[in-house]
Amino acid sequence: MTGRNVWSSSRERMRRFPELFARCSAEAAVYGKCVVSTTSGKQELQKDLCLKEFEALKTCFINAAKQRMK
Amino acid sequence: MSSRPGGAMNVFNRNMKRKQKTWAATLPDSEKYDYLRDEVGSRVADRIYDIARTFPLALDMGCGKSHIAEHLSKDVVEQMFLTDISDASLRMERQSEMPTHCMMADEEFLPFQENTFDLVVSSLSLHWINDLPGALRQVHRVLKPDGVFVGAMVGGETLYELRCSLQLAELEREGGFAPHISPYTAVTDLGNLLGQAGFNMLTVDVDEIQVHYPGMFEIMSDLQGMGESNCAWNRKPMLHRDTILAAAAIYKEMYGSEDGFVPATFDILFMIGWKPHESQAKPAKRGSATVSFADLAKIRSQTSINTDKSDTS
Repeated sequence: MTGRNVWSSSRERMRRFPELFARCSAEAAVYGKCVVSTTSGKQELQKDLCLKEFEALKTCFINAAKQRMK
Repeated sequence: MSSRPGGAMNVFNRNMKRKQKTWAATLPDSEKYDYLRDEVGSRVADRIYDIARTFPLALDMGCGKSHIAEHLSKDVVEQMFLTDISDASLRMERQSEMPTHCMMADEEFLPFQENTFDLVVSSLSLHWINDLPGALRQVHRVLKPDGVFVGAMVGGETLYELRCSLQLAELEREGGFAPHISPYTAVTDLGNLLGQAGFNMLTVDVDEIQVHYPGMFEIMSDLQGMGESNCAWNRKPMLHRDTILAAAAIYKEMYGSEDGFVPATFDILFMIGWKPHESQAKPAKRGSATVSFADLAKIRSQTSINTDKSDTS
C-alpha cells in the first residue's frame, strides 16, 4: 500500500494550497462574507449567487500558483 | 444503501476503511496524526483506572497502534488482546507494560468465544461500524459475566464546522450538496443501544475536544493522515477543486478566530456498560418501599415553603 496512489498524489497537490490561499486572504474574506450573509439574511443561497466574488478569489489563487512556478 | 439480514444497515465500505487505515499507518510521518487517538486513549484509560479492580484478560478492539494499553499499568490489566482491521497499524504497536497479543480482526466479527474477557475497551473505531447494535451484542457475548465494556467513539456534532462549510460551498458553486462527513451516532441513542445489547449500570458522557488549525486544508490533510477519511458508500467520490477553495474561504469567515486559526470540534462519546451478574446491585423489589410516592409532593411543598420564606426575607 505504500508508494504512489490517488491519495498520495492529491495530497501532494493539496500541500501547496495553504500558502497560495494565504496570499488571497482579502479575496477569500469578500467571498466568505457574501456566502455567510445568506445564513442570517432573507436572501436564500443559490448557485452562483457570489460568482463575481468567487471569480476574483480563483483568479488570485491561480496567479499566486503561477508566481510560485516561476 | 442496502440492508443486511436482521435490519442492520450497510452504510460504510469496510474494505475502503481498511485501505485508508493501512495507507495512513504507512505514511513516513504517521505518528504526527496520532494526537487525537493518544488524547482519547488516555481518557479511556482514566475511566478504567476509576474501576477498582484488576482485569486478568482484556480486549482492545480497533486498537490502531494501541493507544490505550500504553496508558495502563500491569496492576490494572494483566494481559491484553489487540485487534484492528489494518495489519499495518498493528505492526506499529506501542510499547506497554503488560503482555499483548495482536490479531487482525474486523470489529464487526469478533473471533472470540463467549465469556472470554474481563474487560473490553475500544477507542475511536466504533464510528465506522455498520451494525453498531450487532457489534455491541458481540462485545456483550465475549465478556464474562460481571465484565465491563469501556468505549469511546466520535459522534454528536463532530466536525460540524467542516460539514456546514462544505454544504454552503457546494450550494453556491454547484447548486446542491452531497454528504462528505460520515453520519454519527447521537449521544441520546447510545444508552438505548447499550441497553438493547444487554448491558446494565450504564454510564454515558460526552467530551468536546476542540482542535485549532491554521486552515481548512490542514484539517482535511490531518483527517486523511489519521485514516479518518469518509468511507460511506454514498459519499461523493470527488470534491471539486473550486468547491474546496470556496469552502476554505467560508470556513475561515464563519468560524475563524482573530489570530487566524480555525477550530474543528470533535464530540467524543464515552460509554461504560456491565454484563449482568447476580452480585451486581439491582433495583429494589416491588412493594418494598417504606415511603409512598404520594408523599413526595408534600416533601417538596414543605421545602419550597421554606425557601420562599428565605427568598422574601
